[in-house]
Amino acid sequence: MLSKLLKHEFRATGRTMLPVYAAVVVLAVLANFSIRVIDRSVHTLVTIFCGLIIAAFIIGIIAAGIMTLVMMIKRFYTNYLKDEGYLMHTLPVSVHELVWSKMIVSVVWFICTFLVIWLVIILTALFQTGTSLAQFFAGFPSWAEIKAALAEAGIRSGDLWVIGLETLLAVVVAGLYTCLHFYAAMSLGHMFSKDKILLSIVFFVGISFVLSLATTGYSTGRFVASGGADYILETAQEAIRLGKAILAEMLAIELVQSAVLYIATVLGLKRGLNLA
Amino acid sequence: MAILECKGLSKRFGRIQALEDINLSIEPGRVVGLLGPNGSGKTTLIKLANGLLTPTAGEILIDGRAPGKESKALVSYLPDKEYLPDWMSARQLMDFFADFYADFDRERAGEMLTRLGIDESMRIKQMSKGTREKVQLILVMSRQAKLYLLDEPIGGVDPATRDYILDTIIRNYNPSAAVVISTHLIADVEQVLDDVIFIQNGHVALQSSVDEIREEKGKSVDAYFREVFKC
Repeated sequence: MLSKLLKHEFRATGRTMLPVYAAVVVLAVLANFSIRVIDRSVHTLVTIFCGLIIAAFIIGIIAAGIMTLVMMIKRFYTNYLKDEGYLMHTLPVSVHELVWSKMIVSVVWFICTFLVIWLVIILTALFQTGTSLAQFFAGFPSWAEIKAALAEAGIRSGDLWVIGLETLLAVVVAGLYTCLHFYAAMSLGHMFSKDKILLSIVFFVGISFVLSLATTGYSTGRFVASGGADYILETAQEAIRLGKAILAEMLAIELVQSAVLYIATVLGLKRGLNLA
Repeated sequence: MAILECKGLSKRFGRIQALEDINLSIEPGRVVGLLGPNGSGKTTLIKLANGLLTPTAGEILIDGRAPGKESKALVSYLPDKEYLPDWMSARQLMDFFADFYADFDRERAGEMLTRLGIDESMRIKQMSKGTREKVQLILVMSRQAKLYLLDEPIGGVDPATRDYILDTIIRNYNPSAAVVISTHLIADVEQVLDDVIFIQNGHVALQSSVDEIREEKGKSVDAYFREVFKC
């Protein structure tokens, strides 16, 4: 049933997100032309008009990011906690499937938005003042060059793969954590009969405070226990080892926090659901 | 075995006792009127049966099981709200129901929409209030469920639509299933009911068959209801 929930959730969110991406790409193309026109233009009006297009492109990029976050919050709120909840909570699916479907789709859109933003930034920079596609990418070092530089510093490519994988995992877990932070606050706030939105905000702030207090306390304790500022990195391998350890620990902390928020979300929906 | 059973069921919202020590059972094949004035606890009972609320005490069982993923596959529920996503078309909603409910008869739903002249490609937000209510009812009644829970299906609609709704319910429900119709408009539903449950201030005031009321009290259900709930 999770696959069916995902299918319908992608359909419901895609109708908003895909046009947003299309609009940002169109603005990127227009911004690309505008930058080239500004370079050659002598007319103030044309320059102002092109400047406005570039400003619209920047606003578009910011709006796409905000839209992704708003979509994540709005879908959970309207689909599970408002009138549509009468449909969704009476489907023969578990609460876990309901929560996971929203989380997975939101994280996919987070990643898509991130990729689209990079794509449009590259698109805007392309072909400026005679730069061809080949010239643009020639500016980046090749994988062989990167490997050679790393080998010189005594870093194995295997270490990089581990760090890459940990970073990717950290990004996904950060996405899940962001969703769950909002979901838990909304689920708990909507257990009450009145002032549901206000209480959701109170829970959001409360959760942020408690989790940051716990994380700060734990990190400080670990820093003091590990010898703190006396730790000196002498080689690149040591830096890599420390980097991997920090990433793994950050991942573990985020996973624990996400698990706590997940339990709060599920309990709120399972035990405290109180649709108006 | 009863399709719906309540044992010492209570529900409290803060200081308000919505339901208290409800004991009742509904057998398959019966059309039951859940009757009571506004605020008597009818909707709370139906929400509990759908797992939309958790009991404060006691239990509610659907086909012997507490409300959950399995019971939801057996229950076809019509809430007293417009609950369908308004951006979806009637066709998309039929796809949605067919995806999640193995007992959903897509063909029958399509036929009913055609008979009413409702365009399948029309979105919910483009429909009138009456048409939206009809689409909701068609989707709910196109399932071969074991238990239909219909919360105020005829509230706030004109008499012609009221007739259509009752006719649709009676023509389409699975005969081996139980149908629970919650309403305070007794006179309109009386002719389709086998049994009635009167709910008053969160308590079951009466559970009886319609025939018993007519024979023993010598009154229609509507007349008896007015007597029991006289202000």
